[in-house]
Amino acid sequence: MDLKDKLISSFIAFENNVDVEHPIHDVRMAAIKNFEAKGFPSKKEEAWKYTSLNSLQKVDFSIFPKQENTLEYKDVKRYFLHEIDSYKIVFVDGIYSSFLSETTHDGVDICLMSSALTKPMYKQVIDVYFNKIASKDESLTTLNTAFSREGAYIYIPKNKMPKKPIEILHFSTGNEASLMLQPRNLVVVEENAEVQIIERHQSLTSNEVLTNAVTEIYAAKSAIVDFYKIQNDVATASLIDNTYIDQKDKSVVRLHTFSFGGKMTRNNLNFYQNGEYIDSTMKGVTILGEKQHVDHHTLVHHIEPNCESHQDYKGIYGDSSTGVFNGKIIVDKIAQKTNAFQKNNNILISDKASINSKPQLEIFADDVKCSHGCTIGQLDEDAMFYLRSRGIPEKEARALLMYAFANNVLATVRIPELKKRINKLIAKKLGVNLGFDL
Amino acid sequence: MLKIKDLHASVEGKEILRGINLEVKAGEVHAIMGPNGSGKSTLASVIAGKEEFEVTQGSVELYGEDLEEVSPEGRAHKGLFLSFQYPIEIPGVSVTNFIKTAINESRKANGLEDMPAKDMLKMIREKSELLEIDRKFLSRSLNEGFSGGEKKRNEVFQMAMLEPKVAILDETDSGLDIDALRIVANGVNKLKSKDNAVILITHYQRLLEYIVPDFVHVLHNGKIVKSGGKDLALQLEEKGYDWLKQETAV
Amino acid sequence: MAYTEEELKKELETKEYEYGFYTDIESDTFPIGLSEEIVIAISKKKEEPEWMTLWRLEAFRIWKKMEEPEWANVHYDKPDFQAISYYSAPKSADPNKSLDDVDPDLLEMYRKLGISVDEQKKLQNVAVDIVVDSVSVATTFKKTLAEKGIIFMPISEAIQEHPELVKKYMGTVVPKTDNFYAALNSAVFTDGSFCYIPKGVRCPMELSTYFRINQANTGQFERTLLIADEDSYVSYLEGCTAPSRDENQLHAAVVELIALDGAEIKYSTVQNWFPGGKDGKGGVFNFVTKRALCEKNAKVSWTQVETGSAVTWKYPSCILKGDNSIGEFYSIAVTNNYQQADTGTKMIHIGKNTRSTIISKGVSAGKSQNSYRGLVQINSRADNARNFSQCDSLLMGNECGAHTFPYIEVKNKTAQVEHEATTSKIGEDQIFYCNQRGISTEKAIALIVNGFSKEVLNKLPMEFAIEAQKLLEISLEGSVG
Repeated sequence: MDLKDKLISSFIAFENNVDVEHPIHDVRMAAIKNFEAKGFPSKKEEAWKYTSLNSLQKVDFSIFPKQENTLEYKDVKRYFLHEIDSYKIVFVDGIYSSFLSETTHDGVDICLMSSALTKPMYKQVIDVYFNKIASKDESLTTLNTAFSREGAYIYIPKNKMPKKPIEILHFSTGNEASLMLQPRNLVVVEENAEVQIIERHQSLTSNEVLTNAVTEIYAAKSAIVDFYKIQNDVATASLIDNTYIDQKDKSVVRLHTFSFGGKMTRNNLNFYQNGEYIDSTMKGVTILGEKQHVDHHTLVHHIEPNCESHQDYKGIYGDSSTGVFNGKIIVDKIAQKTNAFQKNNNILISDKASINSKPQLEIFADDVKCSHGCTIGQLDEDAMFYLRSRGIPEKEARALLMYAFANNVLATVRIPELKKRINKLIAKKLGVNLGFDL
Repeated sequence: MLKIKDLHASVEGKEILRGINLEVKAGEVHAIMGPNGSGKSTLASVIAGKEEFEVTQGSVELYGEDLEEVSPEGRAHKGLFLSFQYPIEIPGVSVTNFIKTAINESRKANGLEDMPAKDMLKMIREKSELLEIDRKFLSRSLNEGFSGGEKKRNEVFQMAMLEPKVAILDETDSGLDIDALRIVANGVNKLKSKDNAVILITHYQRLLEYIVPDFVHVLHNGKIVKSGGKDLALQLEEKGYDWLKQETAV
Repeated sequence: MAYTEEELKKELETKEYEYGFYTDIESDTFPIGLSEEIVIAISKKKEEPEWMTLWRLEAFRIWKKMEEPEWANVHYDKPDFQAISYYSAPKSADPNKSLDDVDPDLLEMYRKLGISVDEQKKLQNVAVDIVVDSVSVATTFKKTLAEKGIIFMPISEAIQEHPELVKKYMGTVVPKTDNFYAALNSAVFTDGSFCYIPKGVRCPMELSTYFRINQANTGQFERTLLIADEDSYVSYLEGCTAPSRDENQLHAAVVELIALDGAEIKYSTVQNWFPGGKDGKGGVFNFVTKRALCEKNAKVSWTQVETGSAVTWKYPSCILKGDNSIGEFYSIAVTNNYQQADTGTKMIHIGKNTRSTIISKGVSAGKSQNSYRGLVQINSRADNARNFSQCDSLLMGNECGAHTFPYIEVKNKTAQVEHEATTSKIGEDQIFYCNQRGISTEKAIALIVNGFSKEVLNKLPMEFAIEAQKLLEISLEGSVG
C-alpha cells in the first residue's frame, strides 16, 4: 500500500479515536477529501519542481505510534536552550511529555493543542483562528489538518508578554521502525503583545522519520513575534514545515530558519499582510553536506499599502547536497508604497553540490519599491589572500570567510544565548575554530 | 513682466502663501529671503505651476497674461525658468539629449523649426565654457550621480541654453563651495540683460555679494513682510531673522 | 499631484496602429484547416523534395500528440488551429523576377512600411528579404553577397538550391519535438530566410528580413535558419508588422542560429505586430521559438525590441556548448492596453569558461501584463561559467502588472551567477522637472522610457535604434501614468 492510501485508510481509525461531534470534525473531513483528490505533490507541479517526495512515499511509515516512550532530561538536555530558563512544550514520538514540559496559564496560555481542541474554555479562540489562514487547498497542509490533534497552543492576550521564551521540541525515539508525525501548532498574539518561540524537530536514532507540520501564527495590531526554527536533524529525518502567518496593522513578525541537517527539508513560509505598516522579516542560514536537501519556499503577499518585507537567505552547499530557494513576492493593486526586498546568496563548495534559485516578483501596483538579488559564487579571493598573507592557512581562511558570510544574518536574533548557540553551530558545521567565545 | 497679486496657495488644505504681492520688471534682479519654512520654495513652485499646490486666491501674471490655466510646460514655453533646489535624476537620459529636447519643444510651441544641430552644438560649446563645464559631463545621465555643485551648475547651464525671460533660482547657492558659487554667479551675471529678470531665492546673503539685487524682499509666514534695497540683506545677515520677526510682530 | 486618476484614464487612448492598413492584392490562399493533406499540399506548392515532405509530416504527427502549453503567465482564447489558412501567397510574387516586375501594389505596401527595396537600402548597406504572409517576395543584394560566398535567400529556395546545408542544420537547434508551436511550425512553415556565411567571412552589410501578415485568417509560420561558419561574422535584423484586424492572427516562427567555432552572430528584432485595439480586441498571437547554438569561442547576441502583439510567448536562447562561448540577451518589452507578454531567455552553459549576460527591461502601461521568464543553467562540467542578469521593470498606472520569474540552476562550484531585479515607476517629480523645462508630459515619458531602455537600445544597429526609439514612443503614446 502506498503512503497516500495508507493515510486515507488510517483516517477512519483516527476519526473513531477522536470526538466526532467536535466542530472541527467537518474541517477534518473537508481536509482529507482535498488530500484524497490531490495526493502528494509531484515534480510536475511548479512548486515542487526541484524537490521529490517519491522515495518518501515508498517508506512504510507508522501513522500512530504504538507505545509511549520516555526520555530522561539529561539525555536530551543539549537540544534545549538550557543556558536560560524557558517554557517548554515537548513531544516524544508525537505524544505530549508532561515530564519534560513546562507550560503555563499564568496570564498567557502556553499549552497543548489537544486540550485547546477539546476544552470549552478555548473554544472561542479555536473558532476564530484554527485553520483560518492555513491553506484549504494545498495538499500537504490539508493532510495535516485532517490529522490535526496535537501540537503547541500559544495564546498571548492583549499587552502581555510571557516572562521567558517558549521552546517547542519534537523528539522521535526510534520506537517505530519508521514514523510519520503531523504536529499542528497555533500561535495567537493579540494586540500589542509579544512572544519569542524556538522550534526544533529532533530524531534520536537512525530510524526513518517524516514530519509534516503546520503552524498558524496570528499577529494582531502592533504585536511582535520572533520565531526561530532550528533544523539540525539526523540523516534519516525529513521535514515538511508549513507555516502560515497572518499579520495585522503595525505588527512585526521575524522568522529565522537555520537549516543545518536532515535528509530532506521543505520549508513553506507564507506571509499574508492584512493591514498597513506591517513589517515581515524572513531570514535563513542553510549549511548542508552529504546528500542533504533543503528547499525554502517563501511567499509574501502584500495585500495592503505601506508595508515592508525583508528576506535574506544565505546558503553554503557541500558534498552532494542540493539547495532550493524559491521566493515569491506578490504586490496587490492597492498595496501602494510597498517596500519588498529579497536577497539570496549562495556558495557551492563541492563539485557535486547544486543550487536552484527562483526569486520571483509579481507586481500589480505601480508605486512600489521591490528588488531581488541572487548570487551564486565563491568566496572573495582578495579577502582570502589578505587572510593568508596574515598567516592564516588556506583551509582556516576559507572557513572563516564562510563563517562571516553566513553569520551576518544573525543580527536580528534577539535571544543572546540562542545567537551564541547558532554561532557555534555554524562554526562547527564549517569546521572553524573560532578560538574565542562569542 | 511678472506680476504677483495677493497670491494665496495651500497644500493639502494647509495655507502656505498668504497674500503675496510682487512685481518684477525687465532688467531687474530681485532677492527673496526668509527663514526656513517661510514659503520661499512654495512660491517658486507655484509660479512654475506645480499642481500639488492649490492657488486659492490671487494671481500670477506674465506679460499681463494670467497663468492660472497654463500648464508647467506652457509656462516654460513663455520664458519662465525655475532652477530647482533639488534637481531630479533621470537615468539614461544625457544632459545633451535632455536640453536638446527642451529647446526644440519650446521652439515648436512658439512656431519655430527645430534648432539646426550645428547651431545647437555651437551654443552648447559657448554656454558650457561660460559655466566651466567639462564636455564629458554633457554625456552623463541627467543629474544621476552628480555632486551637489554639479547639479546646480547644470541647472544654470540649462538656464543659459533656454534663455528664459524670467529665471527663478531656488537656493541655487545651497551646497556650493565658494569656487562653484563664483562660477554660477558669474554665469548668471553674464546672462542678465535689460530684457530679462532674475529672482533669487536664498537663505543667506552670501550669493548676493556676487549677484547684486536691485530689490530684497523678506518672506515670513507666507507674506512679504519687508522690502528694500540690497542693504536690507546685509542688515538681515547682521541681525538675523529674529530681529525682523520682532519688528513685524510689533 | 501632476494628474488625477480621471485625467489619466481619459488620456489612456492609444494612437491608432500605424501599420494597420491592408493591401488589396490578389492572394493565392489555401482553404482553412490543418491535416496531412494540407501539409503535403504546402510541400507540393513549394515544389519541395521528398525528404522535406517527410520531415514535415513527421513534425505534424508529433504536433498532433502535443498539447498547447499553459505555463506562461498569459491568458487568451486558444486559437482554433482548424480555422486558420496555412498558406497565403500574394499571387504576383515570384522571387525569380527582378524588382521591376514586382506588383506595384506590393511596392506601394513596402513604401507604406517605410522600407524601400531599392537604392536607398543599398546606401544604408542593408540587404532585405521581405516575407509577406507566407512567401518571400524579394531579396535584394543577392549578387553582392554572392561574391563573398554568402548565401542569403528565402528558405524555400535554399531547400532547392542548398539541400545539403538545410538538411544538415534544420531542426538541430530547435528539434521538431521541442514544443507545441515549434512542431506546428516544422509541419507547416511556408517561408522565411536562409543565410550561410562561409568560413572567415565578415558579412559586409546588415542582413534584414521583413515580415508582414496581410491576408485575413492566415497564420504566418516562417522559419529562419542562419549558419555562421568558423570565424565568420554577421549582423541580422528582423522587423515585423501586421494590419489591424479584429480577430487574432497567429504567428508561430522558428529561428535557428548556428555559430560555429569562433563565429559571431548579432540578431536584432524589432517586433511591431498589431497589438490589438485599445479595447483588447484582435492583435497578433506571437508564439516564437528562437534558439542559438554556440560552438567553441562563438558569440551570439540577441537584441529585441518588442512593442507589438496581443500575446507574446518568446524566449530567444543560447546553448553555450563550446568552451569560451558567449551568449547575450538584450531586451525591451513594452506592453500597453490589454497586451500580454511572457518573454525572456535561456542561457544553457555546457562548455567551460562560458559567459552570458541578460539585460531585460520591461515597461508596462494600461491594463497590460509584462512578464520576464528566464533560465540560467550551469551544468556540472561548465567550469568557470559566468552569468550576469538584470531585469528592470517600469510600471505606468496602477492597472498593469510586472512579473519576474527567473530560474537559476547551478551545478558547478566554480560558477558565478548574479541576478538583480528592480521595479519602479516614473516619478511625478521627474515629469514636473521635464515640464518646467518646456517638455510636455508625453514627451517626458518617452524621454524617461528611452533612458530606462538605453542599455538595450545601444546594442541595436544605428538605423534600427532610431526606429526602435520612435516605436517605443508610439506604443506608449497616451499611456501617461
